[in-house]
Amino acid sequence: MRLLPAGIAVLAAAVLPLFLDPLGYPIRVLTLALLFAALGQAWNIVGGLANQISLGHAAFFGLGAYTSTLLLINFGISPWIGMIAGAALAAVAALLLSFPTMRLRGHYFALATLAFAEVLRVIATSWSEVTGGPVGLSVPFSPDSFLLLQFRSTLPYYYIMLGALVLISGVFLLIRESALGYRLRAVKENVDAAEVIGVDTTRVKIIASVVSAALTAILGTLYAQFTYFFDPDAVFGIVPISIRAAMVAILGGAGTVVGPIIGAFFIIPVEEFANSYLSSRTAGLSQLAFGLALIAVILIQPRGIIVLIKEGAARFRKGSEA
Amino acid sequence: MAFLQAVLDGLMIGGVYAVISIGLTLVFGVMGIINFAQAEFLMLGMFIAYFAWQFLGLDPLIGSVLSFAIIFGVGVLVQMTLIQRVLHAPPVAQIFVTVGLLIVIENLALIAFGSDFRSVSTPYQTSALRLGPLFLSVPYLAAFLMSLLSGCALWLFTNKTWYGRAMRATAQDPMAAHLMGIDADRMRQIAFGLGVGLTAFGGAVILPYFTVQPTVGQQFVVLMFTAVVLGGLGSVAGAVVGGLAVGVIQSVSTLFFPIQLQNLILFIVFITVLALRPTGLLGAAR
Amino acid sequence: MSHPILEMRQISKHFGGLQALEDVSFDVAPREIVGLIGPNGAGKSTLFNTLVGLHKPTAGTVRLQGEEITGLKPHKVAERGMTKTFQNVALFSETSVFDNVLIGALLRNTVADARRRAEMCLERVGLGAVARKMASDLSFPERARVEVARGLATQPKVLLLDEVMAALNRVEMEEIMALIRSLREDGLTVVVVEHHMHAIMSLCERIIVLNFGRKIAEGSPEEIARNPEVVRAYLGREYA
Repeated sequence: MRLLPAGIAVLAAAVLPLFLDPLGYPIRVLTLALLFAALGQAWNIVGGLANQISLGHAAFFGLGAYTSTLLLINFGISPWIGMIAGAALAAVAALLLSFPTMRLRGHYFALATLAFAEVLRVIATSWSEVTGGPVGLSVPFSPDSFLLLQFRSTLPYYYIMLGALVLISGVFLLIRESALGYRLRAVKENVDAAEVIGVDTTRVKIIASVVSAALTAILGTLYAQFTYFFDPDAVFGIVPISIRAAMVAILGGAGTVVGPIIGAFFIIPVEEFANSYLSSRTAGLSQLAFGLALIAVILIQPRGIIVLIKEGAARFRKGSEA
Repeated sequence: MAFLQAVLDGLMIGGVYAVISIGLTLVFGVMGIINFAQAEFLMLGMFIAYFAWQFLGLDPLIGSVLSFAIIFGVGVLVQMTLIQRVLHAPPVAQIFVTVGLLIVIENLALIAFGSDFRSVSTPYQTSALRLGPLFLSVPYLAAFLMSLLSGCALWLFTNKTWYGRAMRATAQDPMAAHLMGIDADRMRQIAFGLGVGLTAFGGAVILPYFTVQPTVGQQFVVLMFTAVVLGGLGSVAGAVVGGLAVGVIQSVSTLFFPIQLQNLILFIVFITVLALRPTGLLGAAR
Repeated sequence: MSHPILEMRQISKHFGGLQALEDVSFDVAPREIVGLIGPNGAGKSTLFNTLVGLHKPTAGTVRLQGEEITGLKPHKVAERGMTKTFQNVALFSETSVFDNVLIGALLRNTVADARRRAEMCLERVGLGAVARKMASDLSFPERARVEVARGLATQPKVLLLDEVMAALNRVEMEEIMALIRSLREDGLTVVVVEHHMHAIMSLCERIIVLNFGRKIAEGSPEEIARNPEVVRAYLGREYA
């Protein structure tokens, strides 16, 4: 991870929106892309570093969204605080979920995470008195307020999402370059060998899982505040959140810090474009394309687009030297 | 009394869950992968039966055979082109190939059929038979009987035909089967085709009391996987037991718990079995 | 033996219907080099796995430096000072040689100190030059040595080596044997599983023999070589 290019990229990202209409569509798309890049990065911590394939991250996302919004609606608590509450709840959920799933590998683990998120979705859909049911929740409207994390213009949201992406990417790098990161790598490759040389594989997996869950919940809160309205399918859904989080990271390159960023900035703009310029039926086309892209990446270059880019760049450099 | 009724209803619907789940467990048993797109084939089966009803006037119970046949073929194709390639790949690749498939199928359906809800109407849809003090809903019973029939057909196939036995051999020991002259690839294609075909069949037989739209598969995901895990991934008998159990658990719990807790109970069952006995109640160790 | 560093009493291990280990007991003294031999399937690797905690024994106890470690998870056993290498070498293949050893050193060091220790351990096994290579790029004997380095990095008191000399030629074997002896000089206790009789005989002060999960003999190399039960186990009745 080279600091200079990264710094330049962040700076560019910070300056870019100043050239865009703060109430326009393009900045909205970029903001969403930043959010999903951050989501993919949070997933990357368990999926990329620890190789724990989670198909249930929507559980934490939804917990974040519902917790902060319900606290706001019922008690007037600021989403900044609600965010922390949501993160704490998600962390506890991840911890509790760890125990029965600790010894599960691969497919079984993915299945368990998927089932967990699904159950939360169904509960949110049916527990109408508390969660508003299938109709969903609306964030109560108020004029521009930092405290209530609500703005009319998209610009502040853009910076908040950018901040979230930088923060989560930072956490990802911090973990990866630390002792925890080395241990996660060991667990990813060979659990028994890791144990024998002193790695507490259980503890290491739980830490990664809890951190990822908490960060994901924070994003759920930000999503709720940005979109003003959500329903159980939007925040607990398998396809819109769980698969999206994983897909973004895998397409771009799981285990790398730029992977989720590449993945999100590939998927989200294309999807938004399709949604707005195509009819709702053909909007399914973009999803279809992503599904096909996912399969193609898995079969052709499972390490993601980042590797294709690096190889392409290497070949380009070789060509220009010739 | 209400309890007995719930148990009866649960068994009826559980029979269908059983057929749906057998498909999933068959795929795992022979190939060792969990097909996350399984529920999408259920949806396709429902649509085929729906269109057979709409354009050919076929009762879904007959249309279900058509669903089976078509989806069997589709399954074989999918196995040949996709699944085969990741048989020896790491779990992440296997998982996301079927996840990608889920997205592709669901969106193909959305594009082709739109998101409207559709349902059939059959003459017996609202009839019920009396069984002493209990009621037996006719569509439930019909679905159950069809499931029973298909279960028997499957049993006959796997135990009495060469292909069936060859398939089981491939599941137990691919190398040995190969040495015996069995084309393992062909067996896996058949297994996958059968697996998704059966799930499609199950979808079709419940069409009389269900509405179909492209995302209907999602409702069955947890259910199907719970049934399969309960009975043991890879065990057909287990899927039957699991399916019936899930049906009964679901049905009985409506008596005691509000609907939101029903699924929580199912999940608790699911996670408990996965944690304590991943091979399920009847499963073969894998 | 006054204060054995490693004691096992009546270790038994069942796997379903299979009795892999039955009533195995022996002690290892500090700074001993002990050989563990037996025909294929005798239970040697299973015993190692049970000692480090990869398997929980169906019965019996294990004590390390006087403290009971029976049933402890492997990372706890490593913490207490015992680790093993794997028969077919279980390196982290998508990781560099250096990082492999580093991870072992992380048990008792910060990342910075672990780097120094990893360097030292690699030098010790003579692989300093290939530190930056991917583990999967090394030859089998080299990988076996990296595993030894990795185990050393955990700063153990007892090192269990499972067939580190497989696929080695005479020269390489002598090198490994010299290494093991030098480790003992540094205070380590080593238990070695090997099939190369020459190596076992010249390296070990004491040898334990397993067959069908049971200990059938224990003694010096000369005693073992003359033991008719041992000969019978390896070569069959006719040669006893």
